[in-house]
Amino acid sequence: MLQVVTRNLDEDVDGTTPTITSEDLLGRVAQGDQQAFAELYDRTASRVFGLVKRLLRDHAQSEEVTQEIFLEIWQTATRYDSGRGGAMAWMLTMTHRRAVDRVRASQSSRDRDTRIGIRDFAPEFDSVAENVEIQIESERVKEAMKRLTELQRQAVSLAYFGGYSHSEVSQMLKVPIGTVKTRLRDGMIRLRDELGVGS
Amino acid sequence: MTRDELMTAAGAYALGALAEPEKSEFEALMAESEQLRAEVTELMDTAVELGLSVAPVDPPSAMRDSILASIATTPQLASESRSSSERSERVETPRPATPAEFKARSRWRTPLARLGAVAAAIALVAGLGVTLRFGIQVQNEMATVSQINEIQAADDYQRVVVDLEDGASVTAVWSSELHRAALMVDGWRDLPPGSTYELWYMDAEGAATPAGTFDVDGEGSRNVVLAGAMSAGDAIGVTVEPAGGSKTPSDEVVVVMTTA
Repeated sequence: MLQVVTRNLDEDVDGTTPTITSEDLLGRVAQGDQQAFAELYDRTASRVFGLVKRLLRDHAQSEEVTQEIFLEIWQTATRYDSGRGGAMAWMLTMTHRRAVDRVRASQSSRDRDTRIGIRDFAPEFDSVAENVEIQIESERVKEAMKRLTELQRQAVSLAYFGGYSHSEVSQMLKVPIGTVKTRLRDGMIRLRDELGVGS
Repeated sequence: MTRDELMTAAGAYALGALAEPEKSEFEALMAESEQLRAEVTELMDTAVELGLSVAPVDPPSAMRDSILASIATTPQLASESRSSSERSERVETPRPATPAEFKARSRWRTPLARLGAVAAAIALVAGLGVTLRFGIQVQNEMATVSQINEIQAADDYQRVVVDLEDGASVTAVWSSELHRAALMVDGWRDLPPGSTYELWYMDAEGAATPAGTFDVDGEGSRNVVLAGAMSAGDAIGVTVEPAGGSKTPSDEVVVVMTTA
């Protein structure tokens, strides 16, 4: 069985639990309910924008990508199946994917074609690692991250918060790709267990 | 990459760290392994926890207005096709919509909204990652949609929408530069076993070149890229043919669209 996060993801940023769940709202959005969409936007926009900004950093690009994401949410709400996961999980998964796509697209013109090496990545990595430490708000996740080995934590952070591909992570951390892959998997499994996801 | 190597990529996949072609290879592997899908699902939910750990940032209020304005004119994707058992019961034309359904639908069934099928197709590409996580998507649908995207990105991209009987419609998109065309059909009747829809390129003299066959899903929908090269000015036709397709078109013409 594919089962998903059981924790209540519906809490507003201020901690109150609304009576209408985001899953209900998304269901109404799938019926073309624009009012429900507006409500869903109000409830989730800061999370979506926060994550996009975390990955892209550039404000203008972050706005653009956030708009694309909400348009996609509107268009594909008909495909959302609440039996397979929470609305917030669905939206944040989409958010991360689109933000990563943008990171890759804007990088392709910059570093990728010039086959940039670890030398040029290094300064960026330092700031990423620093930001990652600072920007993890949730105590739960922060505590869980501490259970990872240094290499696992760096690899997971660079991939998720930095939007780097595993080959880039391998260059940046100076470890073979195969090692990065197993560290990403081991790290994520450890996080999953620490956070009690899907058990 | 070997299968074993790919199996270890679940973490990288859930974190969005796989690049092509590995990503597609991994997705193909996932399509056949329930166990791998279960692992990926859990790791993706774990990734969501990482996403929730990021400090929320309020977007500018102008963005809200802009997004609400754009959704007001953007059609939504049709919901996922039904199961094959349900589909087989619906050999004839779809049942008429109830008044409520009609009302809900008619909002998006204006000719203008139909043009939006194109925008929806683009969104479908973007939505694949998520669709996959919520139910594995067929590979060739991906390929079709990305080819349709290429057509739409061409400088000489053109499209035409034709309304057929009983609420059915077809949108043709093409680029003479790319010599490629695609159809997006909607509300078409599911053909009985033993027959299929066949696509044709027809030149000015009326000579027809077969361009592939297709069937529709439970909603009567299908996006299909025509096989072979399109010559400028070719008309695009669809006929009903025996399963497997024919070399020359039958009399049962569904639609012919001119592109000149």
